[in-house]
Amino acid sequence: MSKRPFLGWFASPSILIAFGLTASFLAIIQYSLRAHVPGSLDPGGFTFDNFTTLWHLAYGRAFMNSLLLCIWTAVFALLIGYPLAYAMIRARSGLLRSAILLISLTPLFMGEIVRTYSWMIVLGNRGFLNSVLLKLGLIDSPIGFMFTMTGVVIALVHFTLPIVVVMLAAALSHIDRNLERAATSLGAGRVRVFFTVTLPLSMPGVVAATSTAFAWTFSAFATPQMIGGGQVSTISTMVYQVGFASFNFPLAASLSLTGLLFAIAVLALFNTGIRRLEKYGAH
Amino acid sequence: MLSDTLPKAASKTGEQIAVQIDGVGKSFAGTVALKPIWLKIARGEFLTLLGPSGCGKTTLLNLIAGFLEADAGELFIHRDLVTRVPPHLREIGIVFQNYALFPHMSVAQNVAYGLRTRRVSKVEITERVREALALVKLEDFADRRPRQLSGGQQQRVALARALVIRPRVLLLDEPFSALDRNLRGAMQVELREIQSSLGLTTVFVTHDQSEALSMSDRIAVMSRAQIQQIGTPDEIYDRPQSRFVSTFVGDANLFSATLISSSGKDVRLKLGEVGLDLTTYQSDLPAPGPVTLFVRPEHCRLTEAGSPGAVPATVALAVYQGSYTELYLDCPFADTGRAMLRVPASTVMAPGTAVGIALPQQGPAIFPKE
Repeated sequence: MSKRPFLGWFASPSILIAFGLTASFLAIIQYSLRAHVPGSLDPGGFTFDNFTTLWHLAYGRAFMNSLLLCIWTAVFALLIGYPLAYAMIRARSGLLRSAILLISLTPLFMGEIVRTYSWMIVLGNRGFLNSVLLKLGLIDSPIGFMFTMTGVVIALVHFTLPIVVVMLAAALSHIDRNLERAATSLGAGRVRVFFTVTLPLSMPGVVAATSTAFAWTFSAFATPQMIGGGQVSTISTMVYQVGFASFNFPLAASLSLTGLLFAIAVLALFNTGIRRLEKYGAH
Repeated sequence: MLSDTLPKAASKTGEQIAVQIDGVGKSFAGTVALKPIWLKIARGEFLTLLGPSGCGKTTLLNLIAGFLEADAGELFIHRDLVTRVPPHLREIGIVFQNYALFPHMSVAQNVAYGLRTRRVSKVEITERVREALALVKLEDFADRRPRQLSGGQQQRVALARALVIRPRVLLLDEPFSALDRNLRGAMQVELREIQSSLGLTTVFVTHDQSEALSMSDRIAVMSRAQIQQIGTPDEIYDRPQSRFVSTFVGDANLFSATLISSSGKDVRLKLGEVGLDLTTYQSDLPAPGPVTLFVRPEHCRLTEAGSPGAVPATVALAVYQGSYTELYLDCPFADTGRAMLRVPASTVMAPGTAVGIALPQQGPAIFPKE
């Protein structure tokens, strides 16, 4: 007690937040088990009906869409983020390193709405991307990015890239350069060194970045809502629609709860993956 | 001072050159890391690059390995010009200070790595990995992971991994510095045995002078981005050509003296009132005037105060070392104010006792005053 005299004071804000979170979480659980009374915001009696309703095809599609968005976003964020992180760590010029860091971090500094609107301007039928492609003669008619999975994925990749780049850069910076030099001295060219030493040793970082990208994408709301425009429904847009268009709070609550469990299950899967990789001794 | 003469062992086999360095130098952003040097390393030779950190020894090693590209000059390995050859094609084995074993591979996979890049057949890989591990006495550890091994064992794996590719040159970058003292001695002997039994050309980088003296065929003492002196261990120890080499390798007593006159290798010196006539090993002597006189502690003898030709001193401290005692003496002529002598362990000397230091007639050297 005497050793940490301010511990109580420092801990109090986190206790408040924890209390608030637990209370709202319990409220959602409570709502999810109550019946919906049409025309009323107050829930009815105890029931499991909300969860059985979720077996409907529309909700299944929302889960499927969420999962697909997560997978595609993670895949492309990794494919773009890995080279960026690698260049950032290995670039000899400090200016180039800072430039990569700055560019990959900018999405973090923009509000979600502003960022999504910018993408609507870029991806629209008369948007920047289509205009350029048309001018160059690469396409004859505009590609429909808006209200499609592709458009949502593009915007979400932009959204997830900063965290992926930072996490991969951290993993790459911890790889001992002497390991690559040792491989080189043993006759391995650059490509072989990368695939036999650098990549395997950065796998814990790759898994960590993927799971974080997954979680970010899973919880994204504004991007699929605005760019998807109702055509790409995910769990979060569905929760919004059920809750604030139909005012069916109990169903929205059960949908959120199921989504949360789904996300936890996916992340738990990743965690076991990381632990297995750590056993291999990559730092 | 730079000598590219080859050691005797090599001249017998017709002076086969393993590595030839012709004017190779390197600068980083305007800072000279290595001034252009010329050096020939004979096949089977164990050459040590010895020097303090920042002297350019690691830069030279990295230039030979190909991890750095030389600003100027040419580098030959076994008569092939390799100045612009990338490191993975140089057929060089390296043991790093931290061993750099691949943590995600087993011991056997580590050793096999260099053979797999060479597309050696599976049967041959198995056989050669087994041989290499037998050479370093680790046959039973093939399936372990590097982190399950002790420091000494990791080092042996690193050595086996470097040797299995039958490199043209073996480079060792301070490989013993992470080992404790007892293990270090044992590994040094083992490495030297393996090296000479395979007749492997070896370039060894260290800042540890005793390691350099005990292991090398030749030592290149480096400082300030260049080789200060190159020669066999006894040449370096017994006939240092500069003040830096004399103090960096072994213990040295340095006295401030005045050079009165010299003829050939014979010199007449004065230390205060004490006059000395000595014969040096140097062919190059400084001009008369203030100089630094260098003598190894084991060549100095303790005499009574006031003996003719003895340098006056007072006992400051006696440090018992088991087989001998190190006697530290306050001496007004010593460069650092202190001189050191090794005396039999039974010698008892109270601090404050006035004594004399008798210098040998032959063997000292005279360096210009710095």
